[in-house]
Amino acid sequence: MSLIHLLRAVSLGSAVFCLVSLVFLLVRTNALGRKEHFSAPRGSAGRGIVYAFSQGMMPWEKESASGHLPTFIGGILYHASIFIAFLYLFWVNLAPASIRPLWIFRIALFLGAAAGLALIVKRAVKPHLRRLSCPDDYFANLFVDFYLVISLCHTYLPRSEPLLLLSAIALFIYIPLGKIRHCFFFFYTRILFGIFFGRRGVYPCSAPKA
Amino acid sequence: MEAVPEKKDALEVKLETLSEADLQKILKELERRLSADEAAFVQSCVRCGLCADSCHYYLANGELEDLPAYKLNLVLKVIKRHFTAGGKIAPGWTGARKLDRDLVRQWVDTLFGRCSGCGRCTINCTSGINIAAMIRMARGALAAADLVPPELQSTVMTAVNHGNSMGISRQEWLDTAAWIEEELQAETHDRNARIPIDAKGAKFLYTVNPREPKFFPLSLLAAAKVFHAAGASWTFSSDYYDVTNYGLFSGDDARAGMLSDRLYQAMADLDAAVLVLGECGHGFNANRWEAPQWLQKRPPFPVKSVLEIVAAFVSQGKIRLNPACNQEPVTLHDPCNLVRHGGVIEEQRFLLKRAVADFREMQPNRQKNYCCGGGGGQLSMTRYAKRRLKAGRIKADQIRKTGAKIVAAPCHNCIDQLSELSREYKLDLEVKTVVEVVASALVLEPPAQP
Repeated sequence: MSLIHLLRAVSLGSAVFCLVSLVFLLVRTNALGRKEHFSAPRGSAGRGIVYAFSQGMMPWEKESASGHLPTFIGGILYHASIFIAFLYLFWVNLAPASIRPLWIFRIALFLGAAAGLALIVKRAVKPHLRRLSCPDDYFANLFVDFYLVISLCHTYLPRSEPLLLLSAIALFIYIPLGKIRHCFFFFYTRILFGIFFGRRGVYPCSAPKA
Repeated sequence: MEAVPEKKDALEVKLETLSEADLQKILKELERRLSADEAAFVQSCVRCGLCADSCHYYLANGELEDLPAYKLNLVLKVIKRHFTAGGKIAPGWTGARKLDRDLVRQWVDTLFGRCSGCGRCTINCTSGINIAAMIRMARGALAAADLVPPELQSTVMTAVNHGNSMGISRQEWLDTAAWIEEELQAETHDRNARIPIDAKGAKFLYTVNPREPKFFPLSLLAAAKVFHAAGASWTFSSDYYDVTNYGLFSGDDARAGMLSDRLYQAMADLDAAVLVLGECGHGFNANRWEAPQWLQKRPPFPVKSVLEIVAAFVSQGKIRLNPACNQEPVTLHDPCNLVRHGGVIEEQRFLLKRAVADFREMQPNRQKNYCCGGGGGQLSMTRYAKRRLKAGRIKADQIRKTGAKIVAAPCHNCIDQLSELSREYKLDLEVKTVVEVVASALVLEPPAQP
């Protein structure tokens, strides 16, 4: 087995470790006990969850998005590009010869890395945001940015694959340990948001507009 | 002449003498309340700070301490440090912090003094973290160590000890009801018009904010007029008629549950069918949504806002309204606990559009409306009054832009705050409940001939 094959296997193994760890965290979180709802619902929890992942994420539904459109768009690009980078990694691992079309990956990774850097600059420059932040906030962002840049470089320079795989291994190990675990808990929290406001008939509103 | 020593603030004394046992009480209560939901929230906050502009405190003051994510992270950092592996191993890295006296002081000042629990940050949170619930949870932990600002705590204890948060005696309540009954008979020209007290088997048990019998009896009269005109079967309880529940604000689930359970008990004693909650935002949230959680039981009867009941009277043709009776422009304030936390969003609009000639919406409105600043127990915590009035500027600006001089607010805490804002910001407003506006548009049928 060559070094590159070994690294590919380890990177896949670290991805599995990451996933298993996140599931473990989720199970441990659930072990604290889910709340049983005793009040009679006014709306539907199911519809609330659908809202939370659809309309509720649109910028016109939230001032935090509509009032900060560049940050909102930057955040979407950044997070989308991370998933695209992982897709690229698995493609490299499983069928490297078939990666097509590369330009899509290049654009996505470039935009994602640029957005990530912009977000970290914002965090460092805005006084209130800086005081709110902890070291993990900077490190996690920089780490992911680094990984996006390495992925982007790899699209031009296939020989850099060991670096790509090593950074992927490190990232997958770090994800469940640090702040990046929010990638999993984000969905959990959105579901809770949907249940809370859905049951109460707040989102979506259970009555037609008067 | 000998100088009289100034009496020290009880909360300040408590903070100065905080013991390790007190800190442990706070942590123990925090741990007890930590369910999967809160644990997920701990992992979800990325400190993006995008919630900032959603908070009326932050908009008015612009201080870091007013930023919802800052308030939330005051709580999260303690949970991380004491209850998560990452926070125990690398507290500095993850922003975790051990609970100490200094932090408790910050908790009290920030979580009680800079938050009305309006939940506007929750709907604006990128992840959807229920920030208001987390802050209430921390308030509850402070309550376990007797660290609730005394003014708020005394309101809770007045309700616990006297059956209502204003300390109104039973006789005073009955006298007020009798007086209102006379007024009702005069207004309706009907000698048979009644304010029923303890009427067994009535359909509706109506509960009110005790500020109504104490300071706003015309609110009671308005509701009685509407019930009378609709020919409804309704009653007050002579003992437990208080819809308010300041335990929601202090975070004390045990006492909050006790207060709500009294209403449940009154329902059972009077064999009423529907518990009707008067125009009180937090009272609605407390008794409709939170009480079943505090009591861990499903109420065996529907719990409705009076707005839902009156809207049904109108849509069923039981009462008729004449909007020409209210010619002045009227705007509507959406109480956070009734609307954003309660789901009663359209009924008040349905009513006002039929009761007034010129109805004007504030912008933004409904779920996105700004808090007036009177929620979260702020009105009772006089020590934070300056902040409350300053934060209310956002609401004052909203109202001013509508051009309306009458504000309908289905919540007595909001009414108090809006009245103060009117004086503070020279808005020259008249603030009414929605039912008062409806009652003034009622088309009264002549009483049936015997």
